[in-house]
Amino acid sequence: MKKLVQRSLELLLFILLLSFISFVVMKLAPGDAVREIMRSDDVALDHAAIEKQREAMGLNQPLWQQYGNWLTGLVRLDLGESYMTRRPVLSELLGRLPATMMLTGASLVIMLIIALPLGMLSALYSGRAIDRWSRVIAVLGTSVPSFWLGILLIDWFSVKAGWLPSMGIGSPKHLILPSITLGMTMAAVYLRLIRSSMLASLQQDFVQGARARGIRSGRVVFRYALRHALSPVLGMFGVSIGSLLGGTVVVEVLFAYPGMGKLVMDAIQHRDYPVIQGYMVLMTLLITLANLVVDGIQAWLNPEMRLRGEKQ
Amino acid sequence: MVKSLLASCLLIVISACSTAPADPGGNAAKSSKEAVSQSKELTFLFNFASQTIDPHLDYTPLRAGVTETLVKLDEDLNIKPWLADRWESADGQHWVFHIREGVTFQNGNPLTAEAVEQSLKRSMEVNPGVQQVLGIDQMEATGQELKITTTQPFPQFPSELVHPNTAVLDVSATDVGKAPVGTGPFRVASFVAGSSLEVVRYDEYWDGIAKLNRAHFNFNEDGNARLSALMSGGADVVYRPPVESLSTLEQDNQYHLDSVVSLRTHELIFNNQHGPFQNEYVRKAFDALVNREELMNDIMGSQATLADGPFLSEFPFVPAYTSKQTGTAAAMEWFKKAGYTVTDGKVMQDGKALNLKLVTYSSRAEFPIFAQALQSQAKELGINISIELLNSYEDYLLEQDDWDLGTYSPLIAPRGDASYFLNVAFKPDGSLNFGKVNDPELTSIINQLDQTVDIEQRTTLIKEALERIDDQTYYSYLVHPNTLVAYNDRVENWETSKSEYYMLTNQLDIQAK
Repeated sequence: MKKLVQRSLELLLFILLLSFISFVVMKLAPGDAVREIMRSDDVALDHAAIEKQREAMGLNQPLWQQYGNWLTGLVRLDLGESYMTRRPVLSELLGRLPATMMLTGASLVIMLIIALPLGMLSALYSGRAIDRWSRVIAVLGTSVPSFWLGILLIDWFSVKAGWLPSMGIGSPKHLILPSITLGMTMAAVYLRLIRSSMLASLQQDFVQGARARGIRSGRVVFRYALRHALSPVLGMFGVSIGSLLGGTVVVEVLFAYPGMGKLVMDAIQHRDYPVIQGYMVLMTLLITLANLVVDGIQAWLNPEMRLRGEKQ
Repeated sequence: MVKSLLASCLLIVISACSTAPADPGGNAAKSSKEAVSQSKELTFLFNFASQTIDPHLDYTPLRAGVTETLVKLDEDLNIKPWLADRWESADGQHWVFHIREGVTFQNGNPLTAEAVEQSLKRSMEVNPGVQQVLGIDQMEATGQELKITTTQPFPQFPSELVHPNTAVLDVSATDVGKAPVGTGPFRVASFVAGSSLEVVRYDEYWDGIAKLNRAHFNFNEDGNARLSALMSGGADVVYRPPVESLSTLEQDNQYHLDSVVSLRTHELIFNNQHGPFQNEYVRKAFDALVNREELMNDIMGSQATLADGPFLSEFPFVPAYTSKQTGTAAAMEWFKKAGYTVTDGKVMQDGKALNLKLVTYSSRAEFPIFAQALQSQAKELGINISIELLNSYEDYLLEQDDWDLGTYSPLIAPRGDASYFLNVAFKPDGSLNFGKVNDPELTSIINQLDQTVDIEQRTTLIKEALERIDDQTYYSYLVHPNTLVAYNDRVENWETSKSEYYMLTNQLDIQAK
């Protein structure tokens, strides 16, 4: 309970700090939401009209006052209204969350499908052909930018083969190319991590002991070695979940996939400050929660860590 | 062990399949009436995504044939009746619009003057730009007659009603952001923000039932992805394919390419209030130095038309410009007139070379290349130009004063009338007066224009203003860029609108597969 309160306070403080920094950076960045809102490029306006609108929106107030207003809204779970749609920011973001979570989840599955068996096989058959091939795949995966891989996949599977849609959302088919793009890029990193972690795990005394006791090889690998090897992989996953969620931005834009990444890209283009600020807060929350879950799973997988935590 | 690994993989694949998304558009729940023949179905791919299809905030409903405005712009750039079949005003301030009879909204409600009034009121409430552009003081609806009084004499008022955000919708309909109800040939079936809009034919459309049963208005900002969609059959019509793909598309007779001059004009901006460009002859020198043909043919792949002034020559108010000498020699003559010494082909002032700063932006791919070309041409005259690429370009131009030259591509006559551009670009407090032009004579002509109702007098005043701008060379007008649209050979009756307002129409058709 004490730990939960402590983590909640940490989260609150983190959100406050991050939201303040992002608010200040956003306001200091060049660009004018008022000109966007008033469509200054095709409506006859003068500077007085623009200034009047700026005043009406409270954008001429001092920065601390604007931040204070925003913070007061946040306490009431009111993140303001999107300048683009005039709808509440929270509902805009939550409306896009399922699409992004689906893409992230599918990418994770793709990553696991590639990295887990390849990483394990390359550790089990270290120095053999499969290990060398997995190294080649890892190098390729880390060096290929995700947008380029996405374009290649579109060319192969949409343009040439005509099997899969190249953009949009609506069916499981729409999820395949964007999730492969994200999943493959991630898999390269995890492949090597799983391999090295598995190699270390296979050298552990309890694994050697299990083998010596004549336990079936498959059981030794899955029951003993893999469980131990997954702990550092999960630790790394906790760290990289933020970059995974951020990575969806490029892929969502390329595949016109309407998730949160695409929403925030559009918001940045249109200087839709409330949406950008709301995205920052929601992302902080999501990443922190994901880390908490990862910590929990790690503790479950590694009782030693759990006990150490309790002693502390 | 390998078997165990494979079994694990299989399990993961099965769980991946179980993450299939629910149908976001609720397509399964579509009424049987909507389940029309799929044979006349077209997919259009646009280059900007819409987060909302509230017609008062976004252009997509008008482009997709869901909504219509009182007045429209035809292909000769004249304003024509649409939902209003006639209008009149004696003084340019008190207007009477007659709303077309026999028109219904897509929910069956009749289009009345009262409905139009409610729609315009809502538009002004939610959109401050529309409120500003219309300047309506009061409205009064009786039957099919709508009386509108503007806050001051506003002769070009009808042309402002071309603006897509003034589109008429049934304000009683719920969820305007996702399912607006308009009077167009198509009604909204589903909308996924930032991704796609699906429309189906509205059978009671007043101007003739649409030839298509259904259309998908999808969005993708990536030019290559749009091209891929066209080539994979994922789209039938693609807006703005990448310029580098044009030769491929032209060679393949499966595709058609439409290249239509747009209502934009690429211009070179001079900072009229700073440094050398306060001198009219320096402005003229740079205007002569600019190589428009190179920009049009080499940099823009011939997808543009040479510009003499800000407006397309087909506008009736464009004066007959006198042709000017261009090239290095002509530029040097102007520099001499400006008081610079020209020795061995180099331009110097008090023995020093001229150092200038040119600002531009990258979202129009041709601008950075054009800037480099100009830099190289100026170098031949001994003039140094430093180039800076900026993000928030308009704000920089308006707020900073340390630049000399810039590039821009404004919409010159979005609603067919010249007064918009003259007001925003040449009045001292105009929102697009990047060149910081402050010419009392020009301002006086524009003010006079804003009060003039008579068409002939307006034409004369616009000509006068344009001649003054040309005479003073406040800007250097380069080219009018083309709008490109590619479509496959199944598509029929596609028309690329110069205004970029009208896309899915009741005439658009597709051959059955």
